[in-house]
Amino acid sequence: MPENDAPLIETKNLQKSYFNEELETPVLFNIDLTIKKNEFVAIMGPSGSGKSTLMHILGFLDHHTGGEYLFQGQLAHEMDEDTLSRIRATRVSFVFQAFNLLPRASVEQNVMLPLIYHPTIPESERAERVAKAIETVGLTHRKNNLSNQLSGGEKQRTAIARALVTEPDIIFADEPTGNLDSVSGIQVMSALQELNEAGHTIILVTHEKSTAEHAERIIELFDGRITKDTTEFKTRKAKEEDSLQK
Amino acid sequence: MLIRDLFSTATKGVTVNRMRSLLTMLGIIIGVGAVVLMTGVGKSVEGVILGQIDIMGPQTMIISPGNQGPEGGNASMRPDFDALTFEDVKALRTLSTIRTIAPGIIVPGDAQYEQEKVDPMLVGSTPEYFQNQNIKVTQGRLHDQQDEEASSFVVVIGSEIAEDLFFTRNPIGKRIEIAGRKFTVIGVLESVGMVFFQNLDNRIVMPFSTAVAITNRTYADIVTMQAVDDFDIAFADVRALLRQRHSITPAEDGSVDNDDFLVRSAAQAEAILGTVSISLTVFITMIAGISLFVGGIGIMNIMLVSVTERTREIGLRKAVGAKRKDILFQILIESIFLTLIGGCIGIVIGIVLDFLIATAVGKFLADYEFAISLGAILLALAMAVVTGVIFGLYPARKASLLHPIEALRYE
Ligand SMILES: Nc1ncnc2c1ncn2[C@@H]1O[C@H](COP(=O)(O)OP(=O)(O)OP(=O)(O)O)[C@@H](O)[C@H]1O
Ligand SMILES: [Mg+2]
Repeated sequence: MPENDAPLIETKNLQKSYFNEELETPVLFNIDLTIKKNEFVAIMGPSGSGKSTLMHILGFLDHHTGGEYLFQGQLAHEMDEDTLSRIRATRVSFVFQAFNLLPRASVEQNVMLPLIYHPTIPESERAERVAKAIETVGLTHRKNNLSNQLSGGEKQRTAIARALVTEPDIIFADEPTGNLDSVSGIQVMSALQELNEAGHTIILVTHEKSTAEHAERIIELFDGRITKDTTEFKTRKAKEEDSLQK
Repeated sequence: MLIRDLFSTATKGVTVNRMRSLLTMLGIIIGVGAVVLMTGVGKSVEGVILGQIDIMGPQTMIISPGNQGPEGGNASMRPDFDALTFEDVKALRTLSTIRTIAPGIIVPGDAQYEQEKVDPMLVGSTPEYFQNQNIKVTQGRLHDQQDEEASSFVVVIGSEIAEDLFFTRNPIGKRIEIAGRKFTVIGVLESVGMVFFQNLDNRIVMPFSTAVAITNRTYADIVTMQAVDDFDIAFADVRALLRQRHSITPAEDGSVDNDDFLVRSAAQAEAILGTVSISLTVFITMIAGISLFVGGIGIMNIMLVSVTERTREIGLRKAVGAKRKDILFQILIESIFLTLIGGCIGIVIGIVLDFLIATAVGKFLADYEFAISLGAILLALAMAVVTGVIFGLYPARKASLLHPIEALRYE
């Protein structure tokens, strides 16, 4: 996919309904959204407001049912299955609300998984990338543990390592701190912040104000509609000054 | 996705639940094992029969009097029938399609040397008999035309008789008593063992003219000969001649039911063997087909279960970029692995059983040798793999079409 001036993500009147046995459940309405490269966006909203649904659509795991979704100017619904797989493998990655680790595999094997399906990263780079990703989340001492032997925070960090191992353009994180205590939560958030500083676009779902404040921009969802979209003009520097003053 | 990744992923899929994989393979194991075992046994038996045909002489034909059922039936000679007169034998000698005609007489009585007594099969026949029956001596000589003309009281004895009467002593030149008369042993026959359920080492053969003189017989119990060229023509000639001489109207259905004689040959045995091995092949193929089909259904069943169980895993793989064909091949290779491993286990078990049977049977039947059919093994293995492909295809396709987020949401 060519690099161009088009925003990374642009939706126009995006809509989503679930269909279960003829029953239509509309979940997202008139979503107009533009996200540029290297933004750190937090999506907030009450449970059931459609946050995860929106993330899955933006991350090419689900299809929208109305409107348009343009990824770097390309219409998502016109992409074929192979293109979608390629984008999933190279451009986006997910930190799921429910971790979704392979239970009988080690931390290392879990982090390795996306590399298996990556079309361009050579096999010789795998070990190094995996080691680096695991180190980034501070799990080197646990790399041989099976994922079901890990604590919630360690699982979450494994999931983050898996998300960044391919160095994708966008990392989607769905409630990455939802299952964590405050210490682990802070570790995870700082890991994401470092990634953002390293040039990745981060889109994060959370319902905690304190977590959202790590982001530069907060989008609020309510009943499937965007009710607020603030670019908080606090730069990170200002934030740091803030915390220094306290 | 690299081929290597594909294989290691599939290997994990198979090995993660070893017991279940093994049970799944059972149908394949049994199917392939049965094919390997049965083709091996078939080959061994065929070897035995071919060996015996060879002993009998491949061009040899045998006429015996009487008719007790279909050709190729009981091979023992029947002394109660007097249908084959010496005149018949004389007439047979005029046929150009057969040669080395040797009439034979079964002489009743036992044989004795000093204190040792045996109950042999006593045959009186002309020197051509040895030729027809492919008989050789290990010691001394066979009786010849001179002995025949002189009606000499000489015999050649089977290896078993030699052993029973003389132990380790040299039988040549010894005089044994048969039916109250003294005979000089001039030769000992090479051991051939059981041929078509008949112990040929238990024979004593004397000149035909001598046997006629002792028994005053005018009919033969057996006539051996060889086809000059084509068996079918030789058979037809012999039958036509004897039917004409015996005033027999051939049965309307073309069978030999009305005949008072029986013509048999090694070639017939070979033909029967051919038919048997064809039906055996059909039978084995059916067994293989059925068990591979059943095994294949088992594999499909387990692969479907395994795909369902791993819905979330497959969803995850797709979420991190797995293409449809990556998933398709992963499941397909798992399925092929199952059948391939099952096939290999089946081959090993089949060969081991085949070997055990050969060892056991070989104790009774020296000619029974361990044999395996390489072609059948390869074919069975190929069929197992094809089964894996066919029955893995549906589960694999089902898995590959899973929608990532729906799969991840699956509970
Ligand atoms: N497969 C589905 N079929 C029908 N309705 C669905 C399906 N998945 C989600 N929904 C509905 O869509 C709405 C939005 O769900 P979503 O998971 O996006 O919410 P969320 O904002 O992420 O909530 P939470 O904070 O609890 O994770 C909910 O009302 C949910 O019931
Ligand atoms: Mg959610």
